[in-house]
Amino acid sequence: MMDFGFRISPSSAVNMDDVDFELFERLCEIEPDARKCMACGSCSATCPASAFSGMSLRKVLHCLQRGKEKEAVRMLRNCMLCGKCTMVCPRGINTRHLILSICKIYKED
Amino acid sequence: MRERFLSGYNDFVLPFMIGMVFILSYCLVGMIRIILQLPKDDRKKFFLSLVTPSIILKNIKDIFLDCLIHVKLWKRNKLLGYMHSSIAFGWFMLIVIGHIEVFLYTPNRAKLFYYPIFFRYFVAETEHTMKGAFFFFLMDFFLLVVLSGIVLAMIKRLRSRFFGMRRTTNPSFLDLVGLYSLWAIFPLRLLAEGFTADISGGSFLTKSLNWVFHSFLGDHVNMLPTWWAYSCALGVFFIVLPFTRYMHIPTEILLIPLRNVGLTIRNARKGFAKAQVYSCPNCGLCIDACPMGVLKANIRDTTVYLNRQIRRNNEARIEEISDKCLLCGKCSVVCQVGIHGDQLRIAQRSIRKYNISPDYSNIDEKVLLNGCNKFVKQPNSNVLLSDSEKVMYFAGCMTALTPSIRKSLLSLLDKAGVDYEMMDRDGGLCCGRPMWMAGRFDQARQMVEKNSAIIRDSGANVLLLSCPICYKIFKERYHLEGIEVIHHTEYLERLVRQGRLDVMKSGTSFVYHDPCELGRGCGVYEQPRSVISGLGKLVEARSSGPESICCGGSLGSLTLGFDKRKMMTENALENLTAENPDVIVTACPLCLNTFDRYADRPVKDIAEVLDNQTTKK
Amino acid sequence: MVENIVIVGGGIAGMEAARQLLKLGYSPILIEKSGTLGGHVAKWNCLFPDLTPARDIVDSLVSDMSGVNVFLNTEIASINRLRGSYNIMLTNGISVITRIILFTTGFSLFDASKKEEYGYGVYNQVITNGDLEQWFNNGNDPRVDDNVRSAVGFVHCVGSRDEKARNPQCSKVCCITAVKQAIEMKQKFPDIAVYCFYMDLRMFGKKYEDFYISAQKDYGVRFIRGRVSEVAENIEGKVIVKAEDTLAGKPVKVTLDLLVLMAGMVCNPDCSKIANMVSAPLDSDGFFKSRDNVANVISSSKDGIFYAGACTGPKTVPETLAEARSAALEIHNYISAI
Repeated sequence: MMDFGFRISPSSAVNMDDVDFELFERLCEIEPDARKCMACGSCSATCPASAFSGMSLRKVLHCLQRGKEKEAVRMLRNCMLCGKCTMVCPRGINTRHLILSICKIYKED
Repeated sequence: MRERFLSGYNDFVLPFMIGMVFILSYCLVGMIRIILQLPKDDRKKFFLSLVTPSIILKNIKDIFLDCLIHVKLWKRNKLLGYMHSSIAFGWFMLIVIGHIEVFLYTPNRAKLFYYPIFFRYFVAETEHTMKGAFFFFLMDFFLLVVLSGIVLAMIKRLRSRFFGMRRTTNPSFLDLVGLYSLWAIFPLRLLAEGFTADISGGSFLTKSLNWVFHSFLGDHVNMLPTWWAYSCALGVFFIVLPFTRYMHIPTEILLIPLRNVGLTIRNARKGFAKAQVYSCPNCGLCIDACPMGVLKANIRDTTVYLNRQIRRNNEARIEEISDKCLLCGKCSVVCQVGIHGDQLRIAQRSIRKYNISPDYSNIDEKVLLNGCNKFVKQPNSNVLLSDSEKVMYFAGCMTALTPSIRKSLLSLLDKAGVDYEMMDRDGGLCCGRPMWMAGRFDQARQMVEKNSAIIRDSGANVLLLSCPICYKIFKERYHLEGIEVIHHTEYLERLVRQGRLDVMKSGTSFVYHDPCELGRGCGVYEQPRSVISGLGKLVEARSSGPESICCGGSLGSLTLGFDKRKMMTENALENLTAENPDVIVTACPLCLNTFDRYADRPVKDIAEVLDNQTTKK
Repeated sequence: MVENIVIVGGGIAGMEAARQLLKLGYSPILIEKSGTLGGHVAKWNCLFPDLTPARDIVDSLVSDMSGVNVFLNTEIASINRLRGSYNIMLTNGISVITRIILFTTGFSLFDASKKEEYGYGVYNQVITNGDLEQWFNNGNDPRVDDNVRSAVGFVHCVGSRDEKARNPQCSKVCCITAVKQAIEMKQKFPDIAVYCFYMDLRMFGKKYEDFYISAQKDYGVRFIRGRVSEVAENIEGKVIVKAEDTLAGKPVKVTLDLLVLMAGMVCNPDCSKIANMVSAPLDSDGFFKSRDNVANVISSSKDGIFYAGACTGPKTVPETLAEARSAALEIHNYISAI
């Protein structure tokens, strides 16, 4: 590969060194269960909003831990708070309150 | 009767007068503020109601029966009912008869506020008239009634269990001041009138007391201090009243006319909500009613404490209490003054600030309609659309997780030959009720509009629901003119009644659990019981109907975690299985899911048990 | 005097321990609540990873039971603690005094109908791993015979790693069982598609990974990383399974003829009953609590009470047999030291 000194597209790699965890730590203070997710995908599979919008609580939590807040917020705007995810979560996470807390702590922009 | 003092005044009336003037002005200002805080249309309705004869009559009747006689409390607990009505009605009669006395014997003093209260100090008996004896008798009688109530109140303070209350509220310091001054008023009055009885006259109580006093305290010097004490007790009570639970006495008189207009809470803290909060007498009936109470830690999160914290503006606790509640509505059912703990909490949730606001404008309801447009007349088809029943079945989110309900219900519809279509076979939108319960009304309304559009365009004329959570919001917030919204318990009852299903009776015994949103929420109690009675032996839970106990799985609570709900579910199950039924029947997917986790016997939806005992017609 | 040793549970653990104790010169009494010996393994077809017939293992154990006092259709009515020994009342009226009790009560299969959303007992196309083993054994289950045409799915972790099902622990053997059953289905129906919906694949044992590779490479089993959350039925009588393909981050939907739920191992409900009788502690997962989960799995904290097999937690067949043997030795040492 020749190095032209610039790149066409921004890197899609996640650089964990640059991720700011401050907001996520704050979230975990009020929602300790945010760390309990084992990424099984039950919530996303059952989510009625996912069919229309690609909403996935699993991905939201993952994005928040990888510094991709924008993507997380975009998905969260489709949540209908129906509670199906709470019912299927094998780890017993109170997903509805978790979602409401994210809606309080993080910002739309 | 003759007056003893030309001035008709003594300094001891001052504490009473200060208290009285204070409380009257406080209540007047408070009342005007609450009325001004009402939204404009509500205020207009309220003023109109005050000149509508039927509502005036109802107001008077309700104030008389609820505030004075405490009819609702009598029905619940005779002892508590007697205690409250003896104090309230007895005191009321003392005031009324006191005024009559003043009007009859010293009409020139009628303008003086304190005169009826301290009547016996200011008059001396001249001759024995029948009238005097009669009123004196009545006064003594009602004083005795009030005193009996006070004695019961003291017993209740020490032993609430004696009154059938397991738990009661912890009074605050000012509550205690109010309580003790209230208790002191009537014994002091008895004492004061007892000392004065040989001058002013009296009846069986005061006269005989006077005789007793005379045997060792003949001096009239003792008279004045007791009247001072009586006046002081009244004064203290009136001054602390606005800061104690006794504020419910004046507020309830305002709440009843507001309630009779049919207002709902539209502001979390002002207007109607404020009237409700201040009407709370802190009786604590909601504590025993609350399904969360099985965990002792939750007792301070019941409605009575919510009201207290709202009065104190303790925001942190208000948030905690309102978010924890299951919104089962049982506290509203047992509440004697008609405080809606559930609605009050939803209102508190609605003033939360969120930085992220969901928005569903990108969802195309046309796509959803395509999956369920069976009833829509195709442009070039020759099918004649008749007025026959066209049922749209909306299973909802929760039923998607309980396939047994959906399968049995569809099977029953097939057996009965119903022309139906499923609205969310391949998934649909949420009904909006969970979002509503979280207090995010704008988002819920968006869902309501999207779903309404689908249903209206589908050509159906009946909307069938198997989830009470959906049912409640469809009934209350959707505008589906010309479309009948019906829960499957009601619809199945209709199918059975019309003979469209062949039901076989078995020897199985069933208990029916009233789901919160269906029973207390929508008032459906009879239809499911009628269906089950045709299937086998119907037994009742220990508490059922409006007083059924929430399964603990409710979406209403935002903060109760999964592990915290187990004890509530077990408590509800214990209540259901009191008569040892073979099968627990419910009519809500969420109750089914919750109960099945901990139950020691089969838990089934009403559709499932009916389907099992039904053959094709 | 020949020492009586009571073994509770006539599965492979109980029989193996009985056989060893017999060899060591004791007189084991084997109590089994059902009418046959062999427990769960007797109902299975073949065992991972070599597809060894389960029958062989059970038969060889049963054939060695001739010197053992076996009470079938018998349960424990009560146990009384005496000085240094136990008096056990059996439901057949016999009472035994012994210094040693070995519990080999095993596990129960999670009741899959408790996971409402999977539709076990509702849909005719949904069965459990236990049902499938029985079908492998006797080939007589209309749910399998009538349905399988083109696609079969396996759902891992049904009632295990699931706090909602009140079993947060991993059931350990279901991953490899699913791989085994997927391969067997492919062997029986070469043309069908087989899906495995998993959360994590835990291939911990000898040759398990090879088995998994074989399932991927030789049999073309399709592995989807995502837990199934909903099962619905379509008009043709097939089941539609919804999950999230968490690797793609997209919802995934598959139409299947048959869905097999990998019901996990949960503690036997008899455990808590018996534990109460001898006041032996239960662990947080509901299984018997060992004296030490590393160094002393087979001993309890009570004198004379020993465990072997799946009564202390999910175990494979070789682990169970090994534990039974070590329990026999431990008991021998215990008696010798008295």
